[in-house]
Amino acid sequence: MSNPLLVFWAQLFSRPEPVSRVPPQAHIESSSQATATIFLVMRRMRVPLITLIVIFSVSVVGLTLIPGVDADGHRARLSIFESFYFMSYTATTIGFGELPYPFTPAQRLWVTFTIYLSVIGWAYAIGSLLTLLQDRSFRQAVALQRFTRKVKRLREPFFLVAGYGRSGELLAEDFDALGQQLVVIDHSEDRVNALELGSYRADIPGLVADAANPQNLSAAGLDHPFCAGVLALTDDDRTNLAVTMTAALLRPDLPVVARTVSATTGDRMHAFGTPTVVNPFDRFGEHLRLALNAPSCYQLLTWLEEGPGAELPDRGRPPTDGRWVVCGYGRFGREVTADLRAADLQVTVIEPTEQDEPDPQLIVGDPSEPEVLARADLASAVGLVAGTDDDTTNLSMLATARRTNPKLFLAARQNRPTSAPLFEAMGVDALMVPTEVVAHEVYAQLSTPMLWRFLQEMPARGDRWAADLIRTLQQNCGRELPALWKVKLDRRQAPALVRWLAERSVPLGDVLRSPEDRERRLQVVPLLLLRDGDVVLTPDDTTVLHPDDELLFAGEASERRELGSTMLVDSTAAYVLFDQHIPSSWVWRKLSRRHVAPAPVDEHVEDHGEDRVEEPTHR
Amino acid sequence: MNLEKVVFGFFVLLAATLNLGFFVGDIANPELHNIYELFAALAVSLIATVLKFGDRTQIGAVHLATSLVADLQLVAAGLVWVWATEIAAHGVTAESTASMVSLSGGALLANLVSVVLLVTETVTFHRG
Repeated sequence: MSNPLLVFWAQLFSRPEPVSRVPPQAHIESSSQATATIFLVMRRMRVPLITLIVIFSVSVVGLTLIPGVDADGHRARLSIFESFYFMSYTATTIGFGELPYPFTPAQRLWVTFTIYLSVIGWAYAIGSLLTLLQDRSFRQAVALQRFTRKVKRLREPFFLVAGYGRSGELLAEDFDALGQQLVVIDHSEDRVNALELGSYRADIPGLVADAANPQNLSAAGLDHPFCAGVLALTDDDRTNLAVTMTAALLRPDLPVVARTVSATTGDRMHAFGTPTVVNPFDRFGEHLRLALNAPSCYQLLTWLEEGPGAELPDRGRPPTDGRWVVCGYGRFGREVTADLRAADLQVTVIEPTEQDEPDPQLIVGDPSEPEVLARADLASAVGLVAGTDDDTTNLSMLATARRTNPKLFLAARQNRPTSAPLFEAMGVDALMVPTEVVAHEVYAQLSTPMLWRFLQEMPARGDRWAADLIRTLQQNCGRELPALWKVKLDRRQAPALVRWLAERSVPLGDVLRSPEDRERRLQVVPLLLLRDGDVVLTPDDTTVLHPDDELLFAGEASERRELGSTMLVDSTAAYVLFDQHIPSSWVWRKLSRRHVAPAPVDEHVEDHGEDRVEEPTHR
Repeated sequence: MNLEKVVFGFFVLLAATLNLGFFVGDIANPELHNIYELFAALAVSLIATVLKFGDRTQIGAVHLATSLVADLQLVAAGLVWVWATEIAAHGVTAESTASMVSLSGGALLANLVSVVLLVTETVTFHRG
């Protein structure tokens, strides 16, 4: 039915547009560092090179001055050219022999001398060159230049990722699966090596450098027209703040996502433009609250945030009434306590250090000691949050708590990636890994802006709705999260549909018919419809589509291709929408003009709550 | 006094003077142009070129460019000489001498520009 060539053609020529043609606010000479080192190398090569020139000149002139004897026994001297030729092959250890005729003892004496001289000269020059090539600063300069060149040649939108830690790695995997190009900058050589070893589809340029330095950011493509966003994901709040600041000052048009664990740094970041600040502790508290209030919503949220191919997580059932015990009243503990109290739950806090504000429910003591835990009366509690910044303490607390009260709901904070198997063996009910929280959050915000919108609006629809949607998604796409993609119904992305949308009322259900057999519905779940800034979550099949509507779909790649051909190919669209066969080729369509305008089909049901009168639109 | 500047000035000037020494005299008379002088001019010019490596200033770049021009011209002159003496049947003729010397004349101009740059740099140098 569809013409694959047309689809291919449309994809081939829908070249990505530069994200911005706005010139950067200030130009930074990023390559100056690199050239400086190259100049230094040239400077250091001066002495070896001059030594070599002098040795050659002296040897050549000396050889021409010493008298020799030619084949007939006449006195003859080597000319400068012959002498230079001889020295060239002797000094480079090629050694063709004594040309053009055998040397006299006087000449041989001089040649012996020059051989040793030239060997010293070469050894010195080559040795200096090799030392320079091994030089750390020189290699860094070369790496910087190669990286800069690679970034400059990028001709597709890319995200600049500062910090390739655990969250950076998770994000790189997710974005690479989506075909989104990245550029990575990290101060640790090990991490950049890990990036090069990682099995990514795209070639991701990586640089070992301090991201807080604007020159390095500029080299990584901050002022590149295709730069689509900046992600500050290092484990250092100051660096993240510096990256946010640099991006906001030099490229105010770019979206910035910054990670921080401190609310103060978050406020300071907000002083520069409108960055999206991700605080993993804050987010975990919110997630915990959502998990308490609406477990299905929470399940859907974690599933969608995890990225393509993720397994459907189990639906946790945290206890919604009773007393919680929070161990560790640091930044994480405070956020969680506040969120639990906001959900009308009683909270007992255990903290080793004395707090400024007196809290009746605060127990001062080391939470890893069993008697301190006993004071919190775990037997009557329903949940425990092990939230200190030390994994060993957290694990020992969990073990003690489980022994005391096996029915406790256990939530824990995992600090180091190496502890993951231990927490898994412990069977924790809710595990908070700050790096993963950041990665999922950033993925949800940047992969498609509509997914973020969806996640924002979703909790308001209630738990039952979320459970239904999970069931629909599972029926259509299985237990693994399918690809999410968005389509804007405009001339570029859906040329075949736009014409009909303007003239008729086309319900979503008709668009989602299969181009192979229009009685079959594509296994595609529409998640969101965005029209003039208003959103409709999970629009149903009777929703009438308008031009310039934006839709977020979930479905397998094969189904996506079929939907793509409906959107791009006129004949497919006519078949899918109206069950009409019009010729695919331009010539036949011209010849059979009568088919171009199919007879009006009016049996479509009007959209519920749609008060728009179907007027004949002229575009 | 800066020893580096002395060495630099010495080689730049020596390259120019040796070049001039080879260039002066009847352009077509091989007896007036010693090949050893050409060789010395080329060697010193190469050293001067290497000395100009790694200077990031604008004037340093022009310095390097003039030296490279001089090297190229002198190498071309040397090749003409090699061709005349070793390959051509007639040996060194007035014609080949003229071509060799005029090539070295071009190198002389480049070397003079180099000297002018050196002098300008020195004159415009303000202490403090």
